Order: sequence, then C-alpha cells, then structure tokens
Amino acid sequence: MSEINTVKSNGTLKLINGKKFRGELVAGETGAAFYVKGKQEPFAEWHYARMNRMDNIRRGGTSSQITVILKDDTRYVFELAQGLKLYSHMDKNWVDKPVRQKTRGDILHEQAERLGEKIQVPKKHLITRRHPNRSIGGDIIIYLVLFLFAVAMAFPLFFLIGSSLKPLDELFRFPPPVWPSHPTMDNFSDLFVTMGQSWVPFSRYLLNTVLITAIGTFGHLVVAGMAAFVLAKYEFPGGRLFFALATTFLMFASGVVTDIPNYLILSRLGLVDTYWALILPAFAAPIGLFLMKQFMEGLPTALIEAATIDGASRIRIFWSIVMPNVKPAWLTMIIFSVQGLWNNPAGTIIYSEAKKPLVYALQQIRMGGVARTGQAAAANVITVAVPILIFIFSQSRILETMASSGIKE
Amino acid sequence: MQSQSFAQRYLAMKRDRIAHGWTLAKRNRGCYLFLAPYAILFITFFILPVCTSIFYSFTYYNILEPPRFNGVQNYINLILQDDIFLTAIKNTFVCAVIIGPVGYILSFLFAWFINELPKWLRAIAVIIFYVPSIGGAAFEVFLIIFRGDAYGWFNSILMEFGIINAPYLWLTDPRYMMTIVIIVSLWMSMGTGFLSFVAGLQGIDRSMYEAGYVDGVRNRWQELYHITLPSMKPMLLFGAVMAITNSFNVGLVPRTLCGFPSTDYAVRTVVTHLFDYGYARFEMGYASAIATILFVVMILSKKAVSALLGRVGT
Repeated sequence: MSEINTVKSNGTLKLINGKKFRGELVAGETGAAFYVKGKQEPFAEWHYARMNRMDNIRRGGTSSQITVILKDDTRYVFELAQGLKLYSHMDKNWVDKPVRQKTRGDILHEQAERLGEKIQVPKKHLITRRHPNRSIGGDIIIYLVLFLFAVAMAFPLFFLIGSSLKPLDELFRFPPPVWPSHPTMDNFSDLFVTMGQSWVPFSRYLLNTVLITAIGTFGHLVVAGMAAFVLAKYEFPGGRLFFALATTFLMFASGVVTDIPNYLILSRLGLVDTYWALILPAFAAPIGLFLMKQFMEGLPTALIEAATIDGASRIRIFWSIVMPNVKPAWLTMIIFSVQGLWNNPAGTIIYSEAKKPLVYALQQIRMGGVARTGQAAAANVITVAVPILIFIFSQSRILETMASSGIKE
Repeated sequence: MQSQSFAQRYLAMKRDRIAHGWTLAKRNRGCYLFLAPYAILFITFFILPVCTSIFYSFTYYNILEPPRFNGVQNYINLILQDDIFLTAIKNTFVCAVIIGPVGYILSFLFAWFINELPKWLRAIAVIIFYVPSIGGAAFEVFLIIFRGDAYGWFNSILMEFGIINAPYLWLTDPRYMMTIVIIVSLWMSMGTGFLSFVAGLQGIDRSMYEAGYVDGVRNRWQELYHITLPSMKPMLLFGAVMAITNSFNVGLVPRTLCGFPSTDYAVRTVVTHLFDYGYARFEMGYASAIATILFVVMILSKKAVSALLGRVGT
C-alpha cells in the first residue's frame, strides 16, 4: 500500500462474534487496512475491488460507525474517531461501486433493442416507491389524513397570527375573518406604546428575561453536561442509581406538582425574589441530563481512552474532546431550557415588578380585557415566536439528538 | 458445618463486593466531583421537594405556624369529606384516560406517517405538529376561537351554516368545557415524545425492512408490528413517560380557558385542586397530600406502561 495520500483514524473494530480490537484504520487509494494496537502486521486488509457495500452511521461530531461488507460476506464494523473523513476518502476511491438497479423500463428497452423494435415505454418507473410492500391506496389515505390533521394543527396558530394583524374594526366583525383583509402592524406598535407607559420600562423586562434565559441555559449546559459525561462514560458505584432516579424525575419535572414544596425550599434558601430562583432549578432540569447522557453514550470510548493515555485530565477531555463532539445535543438542551425559562412567568417566586420576566408583563397585557384584544394577540405572537424560531432553525440537530433518547430497561 | 461455611462464603463475597465497589469509587473519585454540582442542585430542587411534600402531607401546615403533625388526617379528609376532590379525581381520570393514550397513539401514528414523506416535506410536517407544544401561551388563542359571543370564530361558523341560532357558551357551560379542554390538550400533546418517535423511526436500520420483505412481510401493518415497534421500544417508553406527565398535569389549560374556579367545578382537576389549596388557601399540608397521591399514581402508571410495552411485538 502506498504511504502517500492515506487517511488514518483511531478506533475499534468489532467482529461478528462480538470480539473487539482497538487500533488504527488506514485507508489508501486502492485499499484499506486495520492495524491492531502494537502489531506491525495488519489484522484485516482489503482491496476496494473486493468491497460489496459500505455504510456509515454518524455518531456526532466527526465520529462514525462504518460497516464494510466484502464480496465474500466478511463484515467489519468500525467505530472511528475520524470516521467522516475516512468514509469520504474511501467512498471517493471506491470505483467499483454497485451499479444502479435496472428498472422495468430499462429491461423493456433492452428487449426492444435486441428485437429491433421501437417502444413507447418511459425508461423510468412511473411511480418510484421506496417500499415495495405498500399499497398505493393506503398511501393516499395516509397522506390525506396527515394533511387534514396538519391543517387542523396549524389553524389555531394561523388564527393567532391573523388576529395580531387585524385592525380594530376587523377584530369585531361578524363573521370574524380568519385572516384580515387589511393586515396592519398597528397592534404591535400599540403594544410597544402600552409597554412604554408601564411603570417598569419594557427594556427592563426584556433584560430580565434575556439574562435569566442566557445564564440558566449556559449553566444547564455545563452542569448537566459534566454530570452526563461521567454517567455515560465511566463506571462508578451509584452512577446507575442516580441516572435511574433522574429518569424517574422526568415525570415530575414540569413543576406543577412540586411547585409548592419548591417555593418553600427556595424561601428557606433565601432565593425568593431573586433571578436565582428561576436559574438554579433550571440548571438541574432532568430532561437535559437525560438527553445528553444518552447522546454521549454514542461517542466512541476509544476517543476518550486515547486522550487519557495521552495524559489529558478529565476536565480537558470533557471540555475539548467530549463537548465539541456533542454539539447536536447542545442545541437540544438549549431549546428545552430556553423553552422552559422563556415561558416561565414566575408569578409566585419573583414579586418585585422590576425583576419580572417579559412573559409576565405580556401576560398582564393579555389580561387587559376586550379593549386590548388586538394587543393581546400581538403579545402572544411575540411570546410564542422565540422558542418556535429556535426550533425551526435547529430542527435537524435536535432530531439527531432525539434518536438516542430511548429509555433502555 | 456446611451451612456455616456457606454463610462465611456469602459474607466473604459480600465483603469482596463492597471492597471492590470502594476501590472503584476511589479510582473514579473525579467522577463524583463532576457529578456533584448537578447532583446537589438536582437533590435540592427535585428530590427534596418530593420528600418535603410527603412529609408535610402528614401535618397541618399553613406557612404562618410551624407544621403540626396530624397523621393521616389529610388523606382521610381528602377521600371522605372533600366532594370537590372526588370531582377532581374523576376529571383527572377522564383526562388521563383520553389525553394520555390518545395523545400517545396519535403522536406515534403521525410520526410514522411523517416518516414516509420526502425529506423537505418531513421537516415542515414536524414543525407543524410539534410547534403547538412548545408555543407556551399559544393555546390562549382558543379563548378567541371558542369565545361565548357571536364574535367567537367557532360560534360564528356554526351560525353561518345554520347549525345553531344563538351563540353557545363553550367555555362556561359545563356540558362542553371538558371536551374543549381535552381537544386543546390533545392539540398540545405532540411534544418531546413525538420528536423522539420521529427521530427513532429515522434511525431504524433499512436492511431490517429489506430482510422483512424477503421474509414475507406483506403490508405496512405487519411491518409496523413485527419490525418497527420492536426496534422502537426505548423511544416508546420515553414517549410513555412524557405522555403520563402530560396527562396527569392538566391544570394550566382548564385554569386559563375556563376560569378558576370553573363553573360547577366541571373542569376541576387534581392539579387545579392542588393549586387552590396551595396558593389560594395556604393549606400546605392538605395540598401536599394531594401532590403525594399524584406522585404515587404517576409512578404506578409508568410501571404499568413499561410492563405493557415489554410485551409489544413478541
């Protein structure tokens, strides 16, 4: 194998019988080889021409699980730290990829060509179905049901946005229109006027919320991330028990049931009427720990072991190896944390007007009665928009994290 | 003699295990340091509240005076004397039985349908279904939709089509309140569990389906039962935990939509009852007893669901 133009990565090889070997996978231009740690001779070696299939499951960051299946049905499963780079390198040099399967149209065309006839069949399938065992009727019914429910789900939000754009005369027209015929931003500007007249300036509410949300989310990320890291990657007495406890508390985390004792504890600690009353409990939200731990389990252990052997401290491993590799999970924790903090009016635990969050102020406007119906809708739109926008922009990362969200019994 | 040596062996084994655990704990001392900040906060703000709640449930406590022990009196009063609590139990039970399972099954079905869509459409569909649950106060729009006068959208539509001739008081008439609370809660039930299902379905190994097809899986329902559901078990359990949380915590929706207290206590749930005694009457001991009952019921439901899920697809 030529030494130039190779890509290497540390990782493990898992055989079908479950045996695991730690070592290094080296991929060149014509073939690849796996060297078990401390051995000169390659443990497994193959030419790309012998390859039948290759799959890649992304695990977060650049780590991947790569499956290589050779033509003689030998199967190698690798957990690699630099999996993405290696996979793309192998994929680029693998000239002998399996060809596209012939469609029915292709076959008919070939037959016609052999017989010297001309036919009018399109080369492609008319309907390309990913699943052969699905009836088209069923597909249509399912899509129809899905469409109807999607409309029903979206309608209230649509109505909400519509209401916030309605001028006063359309708010009280019979029958009420869903979407205004003369959309206007008046409600929003009125809202800012109302907020400007309030005793505590609008900017103060906004500052409170931003401060609480930012500190709470950042702290949650660090505190829960640290705990998730040791729970996922080290075996120590009490670790499993603690995680099982946290999983059970997913049920009580919404706070309704524990609201009252929580208040008593906060007041005993002297935290009532400070930002910390909102921030500190948010640090320990079980959902973040749970998702982070499950996601970190997918990180190759070889990555951490290699760094430990190189003499990196645990803090360093956590901060510069583990955390950068679980970025999708950050986003997920951020959205759950922001959603909780942003939407929490904290009516009972913060009573100084100057420390109240934005949602509380908006809630007061929403309670302003019929005269403020338009402003109430505008306030509602603003409150709702932030978590929704964050979700829309980070959707794919969040789904990647949720893929490891299952509870294993 | 034989038995004593057995007992000795047993003790030695026990000692070995403890010694082993101790060395393991000593070797991983750093782990406890990492866990400590989270653990301290978690114990203070999540475990301690539950414990104090259980403790206060056996006392009379009104915040002003120190708690006074009164045994199981709170529980006796709850069950034997508090008629409204029985209404609340009935309503919560109705909510839990409908919102829990229906919301759970719908989230799974929609996630499963969405999984068949092309990628760009899938992203849009996930947003449409998931957004109501993170919208926080978005459900307050139902106050306008179901408003009791003719300007309420639902009333106006029904009057337009001549189904009714005078506006109905959807949110204050005990006959309709429960239905509306359930509809709104279902609208908000496609939450974290739904996301977990969508992601889990994406992660199922394609080759399993191919193998299933070769082995004679003829239609989507067979595929669902024999391949999809068994590989989704961990997500199904996670979704179940989320669904249980949702279905027992119905409190904010009835309080906001139907007022507090609601007409004839028609949508009084255990959570609003708890809220009433905790924040309006400051009978903390009594409120804690309600909370304790809720904890126990939730944990039992989770146990039941996970036992049920253990049988899926086998």
